[in-house]
Amino acid sequence: MSLRREFVLSQYRPVSAVMAYVPLPLGRCGRTAIAPCLPANIVDAGRIVIWGTPSQRKGCRPASQSFDEPVLVILLNIITQAANAHVQTAVSMPVLHITSQSFRVETVNQYVHPMSPSHLRPGHPRRDSSHHFRLGATALAASLALAACGGGDVGAEGDPETGGTLTYLEHQPYDTLYPPAAGFYPNGAVINNIADRLLWQDPETLELHPWIATELPEVNEDATEFTFTIREGVTYSDGTELTAENVVKNFDLYGRGDSERTLSVSEAINNYDHGEVIDENTVRFHFDEPAPGFAQATSTINSGLLSDETLDHTQEDFGPGNATTIIGSGPFVVAEEELGTEYTLEAREDYDWAPEEHHHQGPALIDAVNVIVTPEDSVRIGSLVSGQADVARQIEAQDEEQLEESEAEIEAYGTKSVNNGFNFRIGHPILEDLETRQAIIHAVDREAVLESLFTDSYPLATSPLASDALGYSDQSEHYEYDPDRAIELLEEAGWEEGPDGIRERDGERLHLTVNEAHPQPRSAELVTVVAQQLREVGIELELLSGDRAQQNEEAQDPELVQIFHSMVGRADYDVIKSQYHSENRNVLLNGYEDEVTDPELESLLEDIASLPDEADRVVASEQAQEYLAENAYVLPFFEEPQVYGVQPHVLGFETESVARPSFYAVSLDD
Amino acid sequence: MWSYVLRRLGQALLVLFVAFTATFFLLHYLPGDSVIARYGSPQLGLSSAEVAEIRASIGADQPVWTQFWLALTGFLTGDLGFSTQTGASVSSMLAAALPATAALTLTSFLLAVVLAFTIAFTSTFSPFAWLRRVTRALPPLFISIPVFWLAIVLIQVFSFQLGLVPVIGASDLQALILPSLAISVPIAAPLAQILVSSIDEVRSQPFVSVVRAKGASNNWLLWRNVLGNALLPALTIAGLLFGELIAGAVVTETIFGRSGIGRMTEQAVANRDMPVLQAIVVLSAATFVLINLIVDLLYPVLDPRLRKKVRA
Repeated sequence: MSLRREFVLSQYRPVSAVMAYVPLPLGRCGRTAIAPCLPANIVDAGRIVIWGTPSQRKGCRPASQSFDEPVLVILLNIITQAANAHVQTAVSMPVLHITSQSFRVETVNQYVHPMSPSHLRPGHPRRDSSHHFRLGATALAASLALAACGGGDVGAEGDPETGGTLTYLEHQPYDTLYPPAAGFYPNGAVINNIADRLLWQDPETLELHPWIATELPEVNEDATEFTFTIREGVTYSDGTELTAENVVKNFDLYGRGDSERTLSVSEAINNYDHGEVIDENTVRFHFDEPAPGFAQATSTINSGLLSDETLDHTQEDFGPGNATTIIGSGPFVVAEEELGTEYTLEAREDYDWAPEEHHHQGPALIDAVNVIVTPEDSVRIGSLVSGQADVARQIEAQDEEQLEESEAEIEAYGTKSVNNGFNFRIGHPILEDLETRQAIIHAVDREAVLESLFTDSYPLATSPLASDALGYSDQSEHYEYDPDRAIELLEEAGWEEGPDGIRERDGERLHLTVNEAHPQPRSAELVTVVAQQLREVGIELELLSGDRAQQNEEAQDPELVQIFHSMVGRADYDVIKSQYHSENRNVLLNGYEDEVTDPELESLLEDIASLPDEADRVVASEQAQEYLAENAYVLPFFEEPQVYGVQPHVLGFETESVARPSFYAVSLDD
Repeated sequence: MWSYVLRRLGQALLVLFVAFTATFFLLHYLPGDSVIARYGSPQLGLSSAEVAEIRASIGADQPVWTQFWLALTGFLTGDLGFSTQTGASVSSMLAAALPATAALTLTSFLLAVVLAFTIAFTSTFSPFAWLRRVTRALPPLFISIPVFWLAIVLIQVFSFQLGLVPVIGASDLQALILPSLAISVPIAAPLAQILVSSIDEVRSQPFVSVVRAKGASNNWLLWRNVLGNALLPALTIAGLLFGELIAGAVVTETIFGRSGIGRMTEQAVANRDMPVLQAIVVLSAATFVLINLIVDLLYPVLDPRLRKKVRA
């Protein structure tokens, strides 16, 4: 969802403005009507937020210096482009990231709102992009209100406060701290903050940068050998040193697993053979087959580095109740734990090895984070609204309204991966033919589904992949709502209307079952709404009932579940292969009972995960998305976000690439 | 007396065995198991072969009778096994959860008793007719209030609106107030109902008129004659209400985010965590049996007529 533009600033320096009013070509945004001018302010060194709602303006600090006019023009231009590029999902809250070399604008999808051109008011830029600059400049001259400026640089103005304890609400307790198996989001609040990784993935650009490795890895030609140089002077919180041997020990466990201890292999690491210590600071990892996704894999929480002693833990030792014994080298350590209800993360004072590219360095700004489990949604929201908590994860769509009326902000972070959607079991007799699958897709009014169940935090999917995922390509033409076409297709496929309105073919009812995706937001409600829509064209859709164990079990049987509702989060090209390949999650059950139904898809997916050159992987990913869309294998609904509620006094809250929380740069403003 | 106690203990063991066996087989024959709930999730991306390997490693692939025998002998020797979901030992989980739940249920029960007596006395002895009528209508009202709803309303009003008690970061004592209030209301209702009707019944008996004719005051009557007799049915109900307490704990512990047996139950059910469920069922059954045994043993203490029957 995020839109990015990079601009070289050399000709516009100095850019140390704090507050400027920037006209926006949006009449409305979100559910709150906004003024045509929006204030911008610098939150901390290198980051400017252009605020989206009047309530946010309260947070603006007094001006110190204005933008140079050309910069403002560019700013305006970007916002205009953002708005116009997304006529369907206009963007209104851009965040500016400024470094000494460049600045870029990223739009935060929380205020994304379907917008038609009629919302663009007269006098504002039209959709023709060649006019942007000129019209933008006119608008700028007309309505720009710059605050008075003093001296001082950005950093001095925005020095964040240090100290204090953040209260963070989670909806479930963590279930394991063994990194390769820690994909469940509640685990992320621990691992992402206590364990460092070899590489750091910028959550906005998804680019990889050095962290515990001092450089990006050297990779051989066919991507079967990765050589990393390990940073010196890094220590674990038990005082032991993070050495090359230790790094190898980490990946030998994560890449191969240990079945005796029921410790599984990391999903992100494929074809791992062994690690090798080259010298004191150099390690090399060897793979049986090309593994171009490995570099990104080292940046995920599934590859969180742990001390030697922790790596000897058994599955039980990684379980709840043992958090204080999980030793990482991250900015926080688990200080206390009360089983199943809360734990405390304490900042490490000697932490001094943040990724160089990160805007904050040194120890974390706050002293501690109190993570409290509040399973009941209304209590989590109420605690936040009444000020008893600072940040809460998992704000359900139906609760956003309550939060909007309060001081706290809703912050939605995209997971930049495979979208939330229905996956058809292509080997099943009903779903074998293309027409039937296409008919289902055309019979579903996805916008109506989103409208009735979700909010602006949930952007409409335009491809199997999220629009901010690596390798994304727009496939929205395949997902148009067209019930007449659906009926036509069903008739072509030989489905005749039965006595009760449900279609039949050779005595077989057009009846399909879909699982309930327990971890996904409002899965059961979504299925219910879709079932109503499908019934209109004579398709019967049933929701599989049962608890998690039963769902997991029956979802593997195409006779019981013909449509699988799911999503998967990982910010690498590989993610699409993880979801669809018969040897990974295999959501299409391509290859159920040994015979692969569609070998072509398999080879497309394998290309993504094995081509050593990045440009080739992009092409392969685009091909795979097109293939999935053209063949109507997948019906994506929305780009699944992680939605947080954040109090206005919490500054610098951010997430890693798939939206797990990071407390490292958080500070509390009094 | 002792043979009676021994006989009751024998019955209790039988009840426990039946509860254990029924739970084991019911859970076993449901589709899916704890291994698939934990490792079958697509989030982990494990192949079915890998899941089968895990199942083998914890012995979940053995024939059902072997598993039953192992679980049963384990229980008898005090080895409750390990949670499939978290890998933690079940006995340590129980040990960690028990004190919090004990505190919660005990406070709730005491609060319920106080509430029930207040209602009963007010509705019987209040000098104001209107107050008697109102309090008599309370038990039917209280019993129809769902615990989860009451808990949420209490939090909303007393914590979020009035800010009297924090939910987040509360002290141990503060954390007890709202949940025990929420549980105690539906528990107090049947207790009060029984108390009211048995007080009415006892008061209408001829001996009460005799005592009153001898010049006894209302208070004398209440404490010396009426209450003792009226307590017996209430005591029976109190023993049976233990089940309600456990159910209340499941709901309130989840809503208030407290640790305890109730939370453990909720989690274990959601994850089909068989070893944990098995242990919780046996623990609840044992406590239930024990409490009702105590209640039965209390009867003769309260009623001299029953003493003789027991001795006979």
